[in-house]
Amino acid sequence: MYNVSPLEQLLALHPPDDVTLSSVRTVLVVRASDDEGADWEASLANDANAFVSIFDRHRNRVYRHALRMTTNAQDAEDVTAAAFLELWRRRKSVRLVDGSVLPWLLVTTTNQARNVARSRRRYRALLASLPHSEDMRSAEDEALQRIEETRITEQVREALHSLTPSDAALIALTAFEHCSNTEVATVLGISEGAARTRLHRARARMAAVVGPIAGADGAITKMEESQ
Amino acid sequence: MSTLEMDPVFTEALRGVLAETVEESSRVRRRWGWRLGASMLGGLVLVGGGVALAAGVFSPPGAPIDTQLGNFISATRTGTATIDLGPPPATANDLSLKLTCNSVGTFTFPNGSSLSCDATDVSNPPIARTASEVVPLSPGVDSVTITARANASWTLQVAFVDQVTTSWGVNADGQTFGVQNQQGTPELLAVVIDQGETHGYVESSELNCAAGGDVQTPAEALTWDKVSANRSVSIPVYQSNGTTVIGTFVVGDASQIVPLASLSLGC
Repeated sequence: MYNVSPLEQLLALHPPDDVTLSSVRTVLVVRASDDEGADWEASLANDANAFVSIFDRHRNRVYRHALRMTTNAQDAEDVTAAAFLELWRRRKSVRLVDGSVLPWLLVTTTNQARNVARSRRRYRALLASLPHSEDMRSAEDEALQRIEETRITEQVREALHSLTPSDAALIALTAFEHCSNTEVATVLGISEGAARTRLHRARARMAAVVGPIAGADGAITKMEESQ
Repeated sequence: MSTLEMDPVFTEALRGVLAETVEESSRVRRRWGWRLGASMLGGLVLVGGGVALAAGVFSPPGAPIDTQLGNFISATRTGTATIDLGPPPATANDLSLKLTCNSVGTFTFPNGSSLSCDATDVSNPPIARTASEVVPLSPGVDSVTITARANASWTLQVAFVDQVTTSWGVNADGQTFGVQNQQGTPELLAVVIDQGETHGYVESSELNCAAGGDVQTPAEALTWDKVSANRSVSIPVYQSNGTTVIGTFVVGDASQIVPLASLSLGC
């Protein structure tokens, strides 16, 4: 109901941050080569298709990581959904690694999985509205069975909770997702040296907690191997 | 490589929600763009339409006074739907609408105003995702239609309203003063400054000029926008007599404030 001035009308029709023709051309050229960075740039310009293609590119990897970090498939799905919704909500501050949002997504997934209840809170109504297949139970069993070999145990999950969120992300991503220290450090906004030091300390703390537990050996071995 | 995948039904629904969230953000940003014009003003320009007036609240001339007739009717629907209201009371001339989004989407009032809700909005309490409008009641029409996408859920509260628009004041110099309303814009426009402490009036023509009112083309608008990033423009705030200055109204959010009189804007 405001009486909008001609300036405001013009700005509404031609927002200063509108994509210019030259940048449209650039985006089109780069997108033709299936470059994720271009999809991300287009997403930031509110291109829904570009954001969906980022979702399609990374959803399985994010879901698998979420499955590993949670206790059931529905939690993993909700954590995955929350990670992508967070990717959009916090799009202005997402750090890309080699033009990819995947490391950021995996760190976020780790954090979301540490407290599924809290992750759901922000998107509660939305998550509740998303439908599932009729035969979800069998799909869930199958998914859990297939992820079992790399699925972390309850003890490891609890041990991860004893770490700070960034240390937990360092452990989880280097151990399970084969991310390099550099990749995780970039997303966390710390130096590679700092990442190495923190990872060393975090692994020591993890070993102190899960060391005597047989079920956690595999997880810790994988962590050691990945270093 | 594992072929582990999410439930396809869930995946498809999530894909749709993400696409809609991005699209809605675009619309919401445009709306904020419009609102920015108002928030960039170092004070608040009062407008007539939809101004709720209560006893003791500053009520400048020209503002409408709404009297609600009967109780609110409440209905929850999905997609575009029409709510039957029954016969209106004899004195009703407007409808008061309170629209709440229950899911992601854009919900359009009969007057074209819309409410856009994204994924974060729908988790907020209802009051934080409710928009209010007062729309004219057309003779012979006893229903109201809200437009929305097929799967978008909303709740509407409707009440008949008897709205009477007061007249603008006229000062000793013959200048009209008050708020914008259906009649247009008075020569002296009501404003609130100093965090609501001071009520006064600005010259409508000065406000328009200070807000870039003579900008004609997109290029000029962009230039104006760049210049405005570095300086704000101030105009005097008067009492209703149009001569006694009681404060300053600032247009823009830059820290450097320049009086309009010192600029040669040609308006």
